[in-house]
Amino acid sequence: MYKYQSSKNSGAKSWILQRITGLALVVLMLGHYILMHYSPDSGHTYEAVLTRMQFSWYRIIDLLFVTLAMYHGLNGLWGIFRDYKLAPWLRISIISVLVILGVAFTAWAYNIIFSIPYVHNIALLL
Amino acid sequence: MSETAKKIKTFDQKDWVKENLSYHKDSGSWAWIYHRITGLALMGYLFLHIYSLSTLTSGKEAFEAKMKTFLSPPLLALEWLLFVFVLFHSLNGIRVVLVDWADGAKYHKALYRYSWIIGIILFLAMGFVMFSHEIFKLFGK
Repeated sequence: MYKYQSSKNSGAKSWILQRITGLALVVLMLGHYILMHYSPDSGHTYEAVLTRMQFSWYRIIDLLFVTLAMYHGLNGLWGIFRDYKLAPWLRISIISVLVILGVAFTAWAYNIIFSIPYVHNIALLL
Repeated sequence: MSETAKKIKTFDQKDWVKENLSYHKDSGSWAWIYHRITGLALMGYLFLHIYSLSTLTSGKEAFEAKMKTFLSPPLLALEWLLFVFVLFHSLNGIRVVLVDWADGAKYHKALYRYSWIIGIILFLAMGFVMFSHEIFKLFGK
């Protein structure tokens, strides 16, 4: 009955990835919220950001965070569209828009993170 | 048409909004609806967040001029309210994982209630984290 309607992709991989990235994001998001708000300066001044970014681990965590969030969000958005019976051209168009948006915004975020300089004399900041 | 086929309730795609609204909703349905709304909002926020931090590439002055807007009291309050969306999506997401992987279908309604209780506590705790400096300033500490 489904011979002509289904694809080989059952969606199981996207389902399991959605759960794994979701659980990782719970931890990352809570940490991010506390870190950015425990003092009024921590999330809103250039010095605070610059100081954090001297530690490469922060950059790595931020890169991971934005990648996971973008994947989880766009995959979730695609999940909403998948609930409706869409014409193939519409389905391909929507996937294309989501992928382009995801790649563009992730690249933008990477660019922002990498643009923050390493300072030579770290003692001046700390 | 057989008897069973007649009994199956069908509805026109045209009226799906009305049909959805008239449907009896239990906690699980509400959780599903809120999960979608919060998810969409958080996705929109992620795009906005990357855009608003893009001035980091142009140095201190540009960044802090932009951040001035976000340090005003109404926007700080909005950042706190955003945490409601984060918390609901996180806690309900954990609930969904438990339903999928840990036999949560047997206790998903209780989980929904606990999520709200934990969520309200964490929301107030985050309010304290975010505004403790203002609170202490108010009482002259």
